[in-house]
Amino acid sequence: MKDAVAQFPSASNLALAARREIIGMTSAAKASHVASALSVIDILSVLYTGAANISPANKERENRDIVILSKGHAASALYSVLALQGFFPTEWLNKYCQNNSPLGGHVTFKGVPGVELSTGSLGHGLPYGLGIAMARKLTGIQGRVFVIMSDGECDEGTTWESAMIANHHKLDNLVIIVDRNRIQSLTFTEDTLKLEPFADKWKAFGWETRTIDGHDHISIERAVTKSNLPVCIIAETTKGKGIDFMENSVLWHYKSPSDIDVKNALSQLENNRDA
Amino acid sequence: MRDTFIETLLEEAKINTNIFLITGDLGFGVLDKFQKELPDQFINSGVNEQTMMGMAAGIASTGKRVFVYSIGNFATLRCLEQIRNDVCLMDNSVVVVSVGAGYAYGPQGYTHHALEDIAVIRALPNIEVVVPSDPLEASQITKLLAQGSFPSYLRLGKSNEETISRKDLITQLGKVNEIISGENGTILFVGSIGKVALEAASLLLNKGISVSVASVPFISRQDTDYLVKSAKKGPIVTVEEHAIRGGFGSSVLEFLNKENVAALVGIIAAEQNNLSQIGSQEFLRISNGIDASRIAAKFLALAGDSNQK
Repeated sequence: MKDAVAQFPSASNLALAARREIIGMTSAAKASHVASALSVIDILSVLYTGAANISPANKERENRDIVILSKGHAASALYSVLALQGFFPTEWLNKYCQNNSPLGGHVTFKGVPGVELSTGSLGHGLPYGLGIAMARKLTGIQGRVFVIMSDGECDEGTTWESAMIANHHKLDNLVIIVDRNRIQSLTFTEDTLKLEPFADKWKAFGWETRTIDGHDHISIERAVTKSNLPVCIIAETTKGKGIDFMENSVLWHYKSPSDIDVKNALSQLENNRDA
Repeated sequence: MRDTFIETLLEEAKINTNIFLITGDLGFGVLDKFQKELPDQFINSGVNEQTMMGMAAGIASTGKRVFVYSIGNFATLRCLEQIRNDVCLMDNSVVVVSVGAGYAYGPQGYTHHALEDIAVIRALPNIEVVVPSDPLEASQITKLLAQGSFPSYLRLGKSNEETISRKDLITQLGKVNEIISGENGTILFVGSIGKVALEAASLLLNKGISVSVASVPFISRQDTDYLVKSAKKGPIVTVEEHAIRGGFGSSVLEFLNKENVAALVGIIAAEQNNLSQIGSQEFLRISNGIDASRIAAKFLALAGDSNQK
């Protein structure tokens, strides 16, 4: 465990290892949201391998970068990355969702090193992150705030209230990354409540908007460079990314992988790695 | 009461620069001085209570003591889940401040009547529910809250409340503030309704019954000694400018139940028979069943029961 960082020096190795953990965790716990976790895992892997200034060594420091996973249902993704990067023992992942486990089905902060905010009810992470960014501006504390949201989450009014406030107060230390996988709870986002023209909306609210491939690690790393405006990165992603039978399917927002699913999924990850 | 609150907070915030005041675009003529003198500790968030509350929690998480100010329902019901998750669960140092308790905004209509806030906030874990009865208590309690770091809900009246409480300092959370003492029973009240409770005590005194009257500013933690003593002494009537469902009276019943204390308890609270009724605070109190004669009658009814036993 102590060699976790050395063992997984690159974002791509971390993402691969985390994908394995996510599949194992959601299967063992009979938990939902495996596809949501696979969708966001590349973003988290890039942030936690250096794109964000956050590590087990500086996690208590006042000027660290803050990462908030507002789409708290992708908890297995955040927990995997934190464990693999050495914030807490990887053995904890085996107890995901079990009685008295610190790791709940939605992101839980208490007793989990590296977690900044308990989430699970959508639309909370951005106002909270906005508050931290605002306090830092007012008191001259460095360090940026990254809030990772789901696209469906942008239905919440707090998103657009926050968008106005961040612009008004010129919070250039605030970065949103929207996991734009285009699927929400019951169906596709554009069939539920149209978000498009999504980037234009953020621009109109005064944000610098960067649209990228949310699975391309180099693009993600480039997209989080600083700006003099609040930044919204629209990360175009595929729900269930990496496991063909989970990709782009509403079913896998809920379904927990069976033993056969796990076997197939892990062999796919292995084959793609070799390819 | 709100002026006393803001004056006290300003004094505390001058000493402690970690104190922040956020408003949801309310407080015209009330917050100006704070904003002028401490602009770096003041934010007008705009009309967006949910985001304002989440933001306040985020600011508090960086080590600040954040007061969030709005009118009754806007500071509580509108952003309830933010209070629950981002303040209570995360144990952030936020004080939710509402003005216009009960019917203080009487003529403005039901949207502006704060009649369910105590019940709703009291249902949350890890938050101190605090209701001063007059400017003197408001000032002492604001000081206590400013110097604390625990999640809190401060329910304030509006303006021109008379000071009725004694000059004893409230130096700790949870203490009942007794205004007068009597032998035959107790009237407990919360908020600016104290004057009416005292009138009821006079009516009872005319009948030869002497009762204690006490303000109970701390609703989520009760004064065990005082309540148990009161229950043994005689009937207790609780008075609040709030709905009966889950309000202050309910909290007293819950407490006595927990302590296994048998007691005669009557609750005087807003009847809410006509939600659209318009009128002054005094008019709406009376038309909703909160007045001195009904408090006295409630007490007498309970005392009668007790005599029969």
